[in-house]
Amino acid sequence: MSPEIQFDNIRYGKDGREIIAPLTLQLRERRIGLVGRNGSGKSTFARLLTGLIAPDAGKVLVGGVDVFKDRKAAVGMIGVLFQNPDHQIIFPTVLEEISFGLRQQGRSQAEARETAQAILAKFGRSAWADRSVHGLSQGQRHLVCLLAVLAMAPKVIVFDEPYAGLDLPTRMHLERLLAGLGQTVIHITHEPPSLQGYDRVLWLEAGKIAQDGRPEQVLPAFEAEMMRLGGGDALADL
Amino acid sequence: MLSLTSEIRTPYHPWPAGPKLGAVCLVTASLFIIGSPWFSGAIVLACLGLYALPGLGFLRQGLGALRMLWPFLALIALWHGVSGTLEAGLAVALQLLAAVGFANLVTLTTRLEDMAAVVTRAASPLRRFGLRPERFGLALALVVRFTPVLAQRGDQIAQSWHARTSRRPGWQVLAPLALGAIDDATYVAEALRARGGIDPVEE
Amino acid sequence: MERNFVMIALFAALIAALGLVPKITLASGVPITAQSLGVMLCGTVLGARRGALAVLLFLALVALGLPLLSGGRGGLGLFVSPSAGFLIGFPIAAFVAGLITEKLRAMSVFWAAALGAAIGGILVLYIPGIIGMAVTLDKSLPEASLLATPFIPGDLIKSVLAGAITGSLAKARPDSVLSRA
Repeated sequence: MSPEIQFDNIRYGKDGREIIAPLTLQLRERRIGLVGRNGSGKSTFARLLTGLIAPDAGKVLVGGVDVFKDRKAAVGMIGVLFQNPDHQIIFPTVLEEISFGLRQQGRSQAEARETAQAILAKFGRSAWADRSVHGLSQGQRHLVCLLAVLAMAPKVIVFDEPYAGLDLPTRMHLERLLAGLGQTVIHITHEPPSLQGYDRVLWLEAGKIAQDGRPEQVLPAFEAEMMRLGGGDALADL
Repeated sequence: MLSLTSEIRTPYHPWPAGPKLGAVCLVTASLFIIGSPWFSGAIVLACLGLYALPGLGFLRQGLGALRMLWPFLALIALWHGVSGTLEAGLAVALQLLAAVGFANLVTLTTRLEDMAAVVTRAASPLRRFGLRPERFGLALALVVRFTPVLAQRGDQIAQSWHARTSRRPGWQVLAPLALGAIDDATYVAEALRARGGIDPVEE
Repeated sequence: MERNFVMIALFAALIAALGLVPKITLASGVPITAQSLGVMLCGTVLGARRGALAVLLFLALVALGLPLLSGGRGGLGLFVSPSAGFLIGFPIAAFVAGLITEKLRAMSVFWAAALGAAIGGILVLYIPGIIGMAVTLDKSLPEASLLATPFIPGDLIKSVLAGAITGSLAKARPDSVLSRA
């Protein structure tokens, strides 16, 4: 059962520029995709959804929790995997990184370490516990970020361009992991093919929902529009 | 990143960090207060003995750590050689060697975590000024994590510079480096918030 | 709140990283270590209080035994060596540099930061620095001052750089220069 995600008349702007136009949304599907061009507001959407930034108006509820105001409940409800693992990993060693979130959820040091060890073991990466994060490859660091999120057992996980910069085997590995997750997944991307088989796809354009529906409806329209733009002078309206 | 703690196990490693740090303060203070070359010389000899006791490898490490004193020792030799006061110069040199040698001994034989625990405890009076010593561990981790990231970025920026000019990198590479640090801070702050913020959730 | 905390930690890391990057070369061909420039930047960018905290954090890690000072130096020995006075002066220098940048709002960021860096990073820094050298090397204060003078021209250049860098950051990310926020 997926928790309900509600955007209640959300607005967000920066330096007088509107990034998210008034937006009201309800999401209950288990696999949700969000597509859009660079600068369409995808990342801002992700930050609002996870409660990292305050909306100018309205509120975002995930499973009934106001994710910006009630951080304590929010971190147990929704997790996020950022595009660049170097922006996400806070600690020098893998075990510290994974146990941090658990400590923040109020578990004891010993309990946090135990849970972190367990999740490493579950993914066959026990040997990583004391490894330095800096020595891991980009793909390995991506996996560390995912494990750190999974350890906190949120009900919803947001993936912001999860495949950017990954080589093909790492990408396929992550795709399999993602497909197997029991959680609600919200996948933000500008690559339509990675959303095949999803329950619902949102297309964001200039901070507004351009289309919303099944992937077999939204994705071909999105791709056609991208091809049309690509054929013209795309840089002109960057 | 490696700390300076020696990998060669010595009998001094298990000793508690607090008293060791206290000893550094005591020895340094008495060296400068007493100021006698005989006392300094005795401490130098004692240090040599303590360095030699765990074996030749540790002694070599200890002497290597004194490298930072060479410029100063050279300066002392020059100054006192020119002014013809070699005896006074020797006294200063012995004092320096004793103070730095003993302090280094503690650094070489104390684990970073133990040291950090002492600092956190020692900093608790600063609570009065709005400082939160319990955040020190997190701050420490962030610095250790991001120093190599920023250094690597510095190299990358220097390489982009080299790719486009034959001149050597100038100060202009520093501004993008600082900018990168600021942008990283924004993202990392979000990552921190995404996982429950700076302080643990109170139950 | 998270951002300010992380900014302090990342500027401490920036000082450390500046000790690891290869020496930069000035137009005159004089190579300088950028680390003390990092101390100035902590003040001029983060402001007095946060700048001093960033430098204190950096120094705490050096004292704990991380080899973060240029040349891979670190440990307690440094704090009893002739450099000790300068190390102790670092956070004070950052504080004063930050305070001046904060207070001189009528001036452009460049000039306020350059002036702050010069006063904090030279005038204020050299007082404990010279005292430290005088005590550890058993010299009189004038003698110790003489030993410090060769570094003044380099530090003056660094002050101007601190002003220029702070100015360019203020243009690129206006909300990042906390000393002027």
